[in-house]
Amino acid sequence: MARVELRNLSKVWDSSVAVNGIDLSIADREFVAILGPSGCGKSTTLFMLAGVYMPTGGEIRFDDAVVNDVEARDRNVGIVFQSYALYPNMSVLQNIMFPLRFQKVDNPEAKARDMADLVQVGELLDRRPSQLSGGQQQRVALARALVKRPNLLLLDEPLSNLDATLRLTMRSEIRRITRELGVTTVLVTHDQLEATTMADRVICMRAGQIEQVGSAEDLYLRPETLFVASFIGSPPINLIAGEGRNGRVEAGDQRIETGQDGQLTIGIRPEMITVAETGLPGTIRVVEAMGREILYAAETNFGLIRFLEATSQPRWRDGDQVALAFQPEQTLLFGAEGKRIADHYAKLGVTTDA
Amino acid sequence: MSSSKFRQASNALLFLGPASLFLIGLLLVPIIVDLVVSFTDMNQTIKVDEFTTKQFRKLVKPSEEAWFGFELRSSFYRALMLSAIYVFFTLTIFNIGFALVLALTTTALPGRLGGLFRAIWLLPRMSPSVVYALLWLWVVDPTDRGLLNQILSITGLGPINPKLDAPIMVIVCANGFIGASMGMLILTSAIRSIPEHLFHAARADGAGGLSVIRHIVLPALRWPLSYITVFQFLALLVSFEYIFLIMGPARSTMTMSMLSYTKTLAPDTGSGQYAYGAAITLILIVIGMAVALLLWRLTNMKQLLTQPRIEVQ
Ligand SMILES: Nc1ncnc2c1ncn2[C@@H]1O[C@H](COP(=O)(O)OP(=O)(O)OP(=O)(O)O)[C@@H](O)[C@H]1O
Ligand SMILES: [Mg+2]
Repeated sequence: MARVELRNLSKVWDSSVAVNGIDLSIADREFVAILGPSGCGKSTTLFMLAGVYMPTGGEIRFDDAVVNDVEARDRNVGIVFQSYALYPNMSVLQNIMFPLRFQKVDNPEAKARDMADLVQVGELLDRRPSQLSGGQQQRVALARALVKRPNLLLLDEPLSNLDATLRLTMRSEIRRITRELGVTTVLVTHDQLEATTMADRVICMRAGQIEQVGSAEDLYLRPETLFVASFIGSPPINLIAGEGRNGRVEAGDQRIETGQDGQLTIGIRPEMITVAETGLPGTIRVVEAMGREILYAAETNFGLIRFLEATSQPRWRDGDQVALAFQPEQTLLFGAEGKRIADHYAKLGVTTDA
Repeated sequence: MSSSKFRQASNALLFLGPASLFLIGLLLVPIIVDLVVSFTDMNQTIKVDEFTTKQFRKLVKPSEEAWFGFELRSSFYRALMLSAIYVFFTLTIFNIGFALVLALTTTALPGRLGGLFRAIWLLPRMSPSVVYALLWLWVVDPTDRGLLNQILSITGLGPINPKLDAPIMVIVCANGFIGASMGMLILTSAIRSIPEHLFHAARADGAGGLSVIRHIVLPALRWPLSYITVFQFLALLVSFEYIFLIMGPARSTMTMSMLSYTKTLAPDTGSGQYAYGAAITLILIVIGMAVALLLWRLTNMKQLLTQPRIEVQ
């Protein structure tokens, strides 16, 4: 229904820069997620798309038309707020019908009822928002955002107030509904699982800027920066910082071949590390059961290294000696600026006579 | 009495005691004294010679045709009407209408500016009544020195004498300008307590400024507005200080509360008729109670007092 383009978009508050020149294009009917830590400017970006905040620089285009100065009510966007922002004095039906008051539509009530059925709150139409559970409020908010058939649907952490089970069902629910309606959607979240499972493309933001745009796989396997590498993935990636000399980073009698010199950070995901016959020697220090996997942390010459094993019972105990191994292609190498050095990997070497 | 029961009782006494004493001493006792005095012939000498209903007979006289067999005497009727006009217009135009407009506009203004405007409206509250009254005397002064007349002379219109030509307007304005500030404060904080996202949501849903006021702001102000109505009604009904300070004991603004004051305590106006004043006051108390109960019913105030009414999600 709408292509969206952001060009060098900025928002400066009195004292701080919330959004600092971002460029982004979103295809028609695409579902993108904006992911980033608290305070990085996700909501601000979303509110600028909605027309609630005015940008202080740059351009917003819907289908090639600049909409910077178009008021929220003329943009035809639907928005679901983190707090849902349902009108407390109106019933569910009145809430859903509210956007239709300002449009010339035939039989608004029937449209609102259809939308209520779509999000499965058809039984609750006479209730007040205060009489609804969090999940029901969220659906009503979604129905209200969708009832006028917006060009663009904006979701600001819509699932953050829900319990784990409900969050799971609502994820696929939202996906189903947006597909069914074919609406371009921007989801803001700081939950990486939510972003990666729901969105076609994930936009990772940091301190008002876009750090990386890509598929979930891109961000996980090929993060461009140290920030993305450490933000994506749970448990977090192991980061080994060191000085590269003669193409290797050394610690005691251990060394990792990097083929690069200078300030380096080596990233290895916990799920990529295995216990092998030979490898980096370590002493188990932490054993933590995480559902069907066990998370260990072993003390090595390069510091504490986390790794995962998919067993239901712990194989190792505190104090056990293990040798850790990993595939070079599954490692990430970052230079001094925190940028990934593409096509370079880290490889374990085990000799003292270097 | 067991010791825990005794403790409960003594705690109750400790906590409720001061408030109860306060209520009894400052509210109940005066009402009872007023009730008793109104049925006596007490005057300057503060002596009670007999118990009588003659004070009330100064206000009403028996009549065949009238309701309840009584007819209001003309001075009392006049005071009643003046009170009604004065209270009604001050309440609707200023204490509610103007307060609402002020609250809406100052909250719509960007932060500092709105605060500045509200502070300006609070100034009269902070200055002593006499100073405020003097200010009004200067504004409505019938000579060329009066502010209103100075402004009028610029536009080429002749001098006017508001105290003579529009006395009710003068006291409505004088009380209204100061009275609006209370409503303004309460309504401002009520508007402030509306979650900001509701405004954003309404904008995104397509609502314009007036629709936002109608669908988002006014529903949230329902309870504060009822409260202000009841509270200010009662306050206005018995208020007389600005009327007295600005108009003096003029017949044109002799409302019920003014009548009661001038007949009893006011200096140099044939005062000292304590029993007569008490009778008028008694009628004011009855009217106040009746209207307050009526408004209470109409606005469902009981709900307001029993549960919090500002819904925040
Ligand atoms: N109305 C405002 N006035 C001033 N500063 C603001 C305002 N709104 C946001 N900011 C600032 O802008 C920055 C970005 O805020 P924003 O709400 O976009 O963060 P966010 O990424 O949505 O964070 P969260 O995940 O916590 O919701 C923050 O530093 C915040 O303090
Ligand atoms: Mg946010």
